[in-house]
Amino acid sequence: MNENKILLNSVPIDEFEEVIETVENTVSSRINATPDNADHGLAQLVLTLIELIRKLVEKQAIRRVEGGSLSEDEIERLGETLMKLEMKMEELKEIFNLTDEDLNINLGPLGDLM
Amino acid sequence: MEKIIYAIIASNRSHAELSGLVKGIQGISGSDLYVLTFKDISVAVSDFTPSKYTISKELAIDFARVIEELSQQVILLPVRFGTFLKSDEIVNQLLISHYDSFLKNLQKVENKYEFGLKALWDYEKCSEKIRTKSASEVVKAGDYFSTSTIHTNYLLEKIKKHRMEDALLKHVEALVEEILRHLAEINPDCKFKKMVTNSIILDAVFLVKKNKKDEFIQAIEVFKQQHNDLQFLLTGPWPPYSFVDIVID
Repeated sequence: MNENKILLNSVPIDEFEEVIETVENTVSSRINATPDNADHGLAQLVLTLIELIRKLVEKQAIRRVEGGSLSEDEIERLGETLMKLEMKMEELKEIFNLTDEDLNINLGPLGDLM
Repeated sequence: MEKIIYAIIASNRSHAELSGLVKGIQGISGSDLYVLTFKDISVAVSDFTPSKYTISKELAIDFARVIEELSQQVILLPVRFGTFLKSDEIVNQLLISHYDSFLKNLQKVENKYEFGLKALWDYEKCSEKIRTKSASEVVKAGDYFSTSTIHTNYLLEKIKKHRMEDALLKHVEALVEEILRHLAEINPDCKFKKMVTNSIILDAVFLVKKNKKDEFIQAIEVFKQQHNDLQFLLTGPWPPYSFVDIVID
């Protein structure tokens, strides 16, 4: 960032690096798609959508637990399912060498997906 | 060879005068910048051979430099990096077909600057504070299930995490409301992204009248002093990157 553009800064240097990193990630997520890494881009897109759905399912499940409408048995199975889903997602991220940050597509004016 | 588009420009100057003005500014990678005009709006473009350039961060920064230099001379709408069209004729068609929305957006940003404000906190410290504050809402396993297994414990942790996220978000929403109240007299347009990361709780952009620039900076300075638990990064003035609402098919 051009130093002349910084009007006020009380951010410690290590956190400032994180700010810069966030900006750079946004730029790279928009411009790094090339014919050479199209398969990786596709995996990223698919896993992003799966992760979005997984999180929605998780939220809904928690709402139902909090709502008190589930039996003990249903809660047990729900916990097991959500746990396995999360573990499977971690496996897939490892296979495709993706991080949590990679699974958050920038939708331009709409902001980040998650 | 294609045309890369930098910005839509409003100008009372003649086409010749505007052409002379942009000639002093180099396009990306040293290309020649020129303008195409329709009525009282123009578009700044330069030639671009996709095979000659690799799309990179450096090129994006160079592109931003062109927009920055242009914005010091004219009122403009920055165009997103990577907008290419096949020919001058197609660029002209774009100007004609979107004339009304370009004009409307140009009027919206006229005599205004964009500023960026990021607010950061110490996640661990602040979440602990919020956790303590909402101690009455502590989640216990017994609230939902009587047995304790690896799966119910997993669910309990998830419930706790979601409760915490809700509490943090409420805290940030209250902060946004406070900023808006604090800036009410300056009345800027604004957009907010909340909880960008665990540390960056707020990423805001403001569109401020040029004559209110100093007042705005001062107001943010005062706000910062009132919130010692937060760190702030205020940047600008920028061209109005975040306040252009045009979709080009």
